[in-house]
Amino acid sequence: MQTAISAQGISKSFRTRIFGPWKQVLHEVDLEVESGTIFGILGPNGAGKTTFISILATLLRPDTGQARVLGLDVVKNAALLRERINLAASGAHFLWCLTVEENLRFYGRLYGLGGKTLAAKIEELLDIFGLQTQRRVTFERLSTGLKQRLALAKALINTPELLFLDEPTTGLDPEMAQHSREEILRLNRETGLTILLTTHNLREAEMLCGEVAFLKEGRLLARGTIPQLQERLGLGDRVSLFFQDGCGDLDFSRLPGVLTHKLENNRVDLMVDRAEERLAPILEAISRTRNTVIQVQLKEVDLAEIYHEITQ
Amino acid sequence: MKLPSSFHKIWAFSARSALVNRRNVFAVFEMLFWPAIGIFSVGLLTRFLKLDPETVTFVLIGAVSMNTIQIAQLDLSYALLYSVWAKSLKHEFMAPVRLTHILVGAGLVGVIRGFLVFVVMGVLSMWLFDMDLARPGTEGLIIFMAGMFLNAAVIGALVLALVLRFGQRAEVAAWAFSYLMLLLCGLYYPVSVLPPGVQLLAQIIPLTYFLEYFRHFYGFPSSYPHPLLYGFSLSVIYLCGCYALVHYTLNSALQRGTLLRLSE
Repeated sequence: MQTAISAQGISKSFRTRIFGPWKQVLHEVDLEVESGTIFGILGPNGAGKTTFISILATLLRPDTGQARVLGLDVVKNAALLRERINLAASGAHFLWCLTVEENLRFYGRLYGLGGKTLAAKIEELLDIFGLQTQRRVTFERLSTGLKQRLALAKALINTPELLFLDEPTTGLDPEMAQHSREEILRLNRETGLTILLTTHNLREAEMLCGEVAFLKEGRLLARGTIPQLQERLGLGDRVSLFFQDGCGDLDFSRLPGVLTHKLENNRVDLMVDRAEERLAPILEAISRTRNTVIQVQLKEVDLAEIYHEITQ
Repeated sequence: MKLPSSFHKIWAFSARSALVNRRNVFAVFEMLFWPAIGIFSVGLLTRFLKLDPETVTFVLIGAVSMNTIQIAQLDLSYALLYSVWAKSLKHEFMAPVRLTHILVGAGLVGVIRGFLVFVVMGVLSMWLFDMDLARPGTEGLIIFMAGMFLNAAVIGALVLALVLRFGQRAEVAAWAFSYLMLLLCGLYYPVSVLPPGVQLLAQIIPLTYFLEYFRHFYGFPSSYPHPLLYGFSLSVIYLCGCYALVHYTLNSALQRGTLLRLSE
């Protein structure tokens, strides 16, 4: 598979005020993202997510390091690269007195589109993001959710090969957020569009991203698929077993795949590497003893736990 | 540079500027109300002072020039200020546009609006104060207007550089620069009445030479030889200098993160 984004040793500092001290926002960040994937960058506020995504989107120049997006250097080939990428950010801002349609037309023209091609693209995006009825409404009169929809529509105006989404569903109602996520997934699956997104919403990252990276204080702490990170951090799925008459003298640490266990009255909480594979052998091992399991609760490890573990 | 693609990019800025002007009631004030007030107040002052027709024309040319340049430079200055006010600057620079697309696109609307102001003020001056605006002939009028628009472009480009460096605070500069330039170039008076040191400053302003050129048709000989050569040469030098300055501040903005800060 081809590499869509390749960043090596990206560092960036800003002055906190004129003649003030420098603050390093990114510390030698390395990242590789494969073409056709959805990659998530997670991290707390001030972690450097927007700075990093802005460098890749040619809006900011790194102090050190080199980044190539779609095979083009983000500094030396910025003009060429801009033809093939686009960005949607949270807190959508566009010219207040232009309508939805006029804003899309303005940005379409900035990408060199015109005539029937642009008109057809605008119609397609208005349909996808449910903006047909608001097409003649000025931006200042749109609700926050509609503004965000317009931001997503604008980001697709040039049919980009790579899309940067900076907190793309912030401000959307749950239904529209879900619709937008499905649209992002559909675009990725049907067109092979590579997407790099930052988000605070871990469920969103879980739903959309094949792979994630965690940034904290400008440093990339970890990256990988969720199972890879789970394995690396020793985080597992949770299996809670409820016994009829206590747990007896069972040695839970010897059960297959068990990483840790905690006893509490008639209940034991096990952390196992892969619940899906381990549950049957565990229950079988217990059934060979005199203990009777009356209830099983299963909770797969989620991104929130991984996030918590990494950022602490 | 692909021509059809560049045309669309230039047209994007022209169309946006035209739409904003059409929906902004103050744009009508800028183009009709203030120019009319300017002509009335200056024209009535000349009547009160009982000036001869040539001197009245001298002064009215200044009033017409001032408003034409002010309006023409505003569209260029606002090309980025609109984006700063809308906090959408990063989206504009994320697109594959060049500075020339912005300058030409917004500048075109400035030229059209400036031309309309020139026509409105010219007609009012002829109708109310018997100013003979047609005396220099079509060629003279076109050269004078070209000179005014070049000066407006220099001011507009300078403001663009300031917007990229200082953001919204540069708005004040959009007005201040043109007033300062107009004061120094002998708008309502010959440059010879300025203090000697200030006269030197007037000589480095291209508009000084275009005003001298235009006024010589009304019996006021130019103080400088070859005013058009100086006027156009200085305008081209300044335009190139301002373009380089805008280019430099854009690069600096990409380094300092100004585009992001102005989009928050």
